[in-house]
Amino acid sequence: MSQSIGAGAIKPQARVRGKGRWGIGKIASYILFGVLLVTQLYPLLWLAIYSLKSNEEILAGRFFALPASPQWVNFTNAVESGNYFKYLYNSLFVTTITMVGVLLLASLVSFAISRFRWKYGPAVMLVFLIGMMIPMQATLLPLMLIFKNINILNTHASIILPYIAFQTPIAVFILSGFMRTIPHEIEESAVVDGAGVFRIFWNIILPVSVPPMMTVCILTFINIWNEYILASTFISSEALKTLPFGVNSFVSQYSVNYGAIGAFLVLGALPVIIIYFLLADKITKGMVAGAVKG
Amino acid sequence: MNVLKVSKFTIALFVLPCLLLYVLLVFVPIIVSMYSGLLEWNGIGESTFVGLANFKTMFFDDAVFWPSVRRTLMFAVFSMAEIPVVLFIAILLNRYVKKPNFLVSSYFLPIILSVVIIGQLWKTIYNPASMGGMLNQVLEAIGLGSWTQAWLTDPSIAMYSLYFVALWQYFGYHLLIQFTGIQNIPADVYEAAKIDGADGLKADWYITFPMNIPIFKISIVLAFIGSLQAFDLTMVMTGGGPAHATDLISTHMYNMSFLSMKYGYGSAIAAFLVLVCLVATFIINFIFGRVERKYT
Repeated sequence: MSQSIGAGAIKPQARVRGKGRWGIGKIASYILFGVLLVTQLYPLLWLAIYSLKSNEEILAGRFFALPASPQWVNFTNAVESGNYFKYLYNSLFVTTITMVGVLLLASLVSFAISRFRWKYGPAVMLVFLIGMMIPMQATLLPLMLIFKNINILNTHASIILPYIAFQTPIAVFILSGFMRTIPHEIEESAVVDGAGVFRIFWNIILPVSVPPMMTVCILTFINIWNEYILASTFISSEALKTLPFGVNSFVSQYSVNYGAIGAFLVLGALPVIIIYFLLADKITKGMVAGAVKG
Repeated sequence: MNVLKVSKFTIALFVLPCLLLYVLLVFVPIIVSMYSGLLEWNGIGESTFVGLANFKTMFFDDAVFWPSVRRTLMFAVFSMAEIPVVLFIAILLNRYVKKPNFLVSSYFLPIILSVVIIGQLWKTIYNPASMGGMLNQVLEAIGLGSWTQAWLTDPSIAMYSLYFVALWQYFGYHLLIQFTGIQNIPADVYEAAKIDGADGLKADWYITFPMNIPIFKISIVLAFIGSLQAFDLTMVMTGGGPAHATDLISTHMYNMSFLSMKYGYGSAIAAFLVLVCLVATFIINFIFGRVERKYT
């Protein structure tokens, strides 16, 4: 029954319970919602203001005050001394390759699990399901040794490969769950028309599966774009760092230039926040679907 | 019944690329890690097989291990305790707000940000007032100067400061999950209950709670497993310090393997962590299996 949730997330319902009447409960609730809105958003707003202040203003202790004149120099400092665009490019590159890899590999397997007539489908599925319980950190050490031996440590491959591997279970779970629901008559008629397996996969199943693939894309994007530990363990070259790793090393280095730290954190958060503004609905639904189905 | 009858070769073509990558990069490392747990090894030189000696050290001689287990479990308890509160807020939201999208997506914002951004942001918030830390500045401004703390450097409160950040970040996530769950309860159930005289709190008690149990379980499982595996926030904010006061199982493992270069010992802790995660998932599913049978 949990399958039915997710995609249909927030839909308006004609439920009349209490909406419209202003009772004490409603007022108290709205105060609560307001307080929560402040606690959830104010730290981010504070950071944005902080990033435009000079060190003196930050240390003066008037946390609420706006900067006398916005210190855009914090941002230029951060960009110039912090390789921001390099990190941004690396993150884009790594995330894109991972997303393509996950979509391709997971949809192939999901197709086989959900549509082929063979007896090991459930067993393969089980292998993926067990993997969802395994904490990623437990593989850090052996992976590092393996990568060292095959000489790909400190390359983008050393993070992309495990990224793809760790994202596939949830992707397979979502995609095969969806593909199972496509009526079998579709293939029957395609087979009669003489279409091969690959054409059925590419021309029929994939186009129908775009919505769950979007969910997979969103989950992969959020997880990989933000990933820090693998990147910081396997990558050491400045030129290969991804954004979270780069932000963290910049911030740890410039520990007294508060404004520049704030600016770099804002820059680090900005890409995701922009995407969230554009796609908030899709992202929230995708992540809930990922949680509920996982 | 699936209709596509295909050759073994085709099956292999579809399944093997993904399965091989996955098994090689997830399962093989875990098994290697289990085995390395039986070695004494610094990762580079010779390794000696020492049997269960690492586990003996872990359970009996490591002063950091049990406190880190305790903190990890505390973390799990706090995270799970957040869920009923979140459910309550979700119910209020569903009852009183006509267009909840703005509120829900604002609450959700922290979860999409990298743990590095969140961790460093809160580090600046927790800074001493003299270094521009907001929290202490706020306390001083409202006359609670005596409440100011060294939030991350005082060993007795550093861990709680970290718990708070994690609860703060995940609040919106669980809220949205619970809220979506409640929205998916069919409206006619409530209408029928209203006719029978159950409204407001009563309806929530007899309808929302039982019908939402599967979704409630999802949040509990996510919160529990998430805190057992919790790692990056601590690494970013404190690295397990001061004086191991914020070490969790996972950060202890990381520090042992990568800083102290005790690969064998680190692997033993990793094996313990994997085992705990598997057993915990099993137990939670078992408990909820019984609850669900009882109420649905």
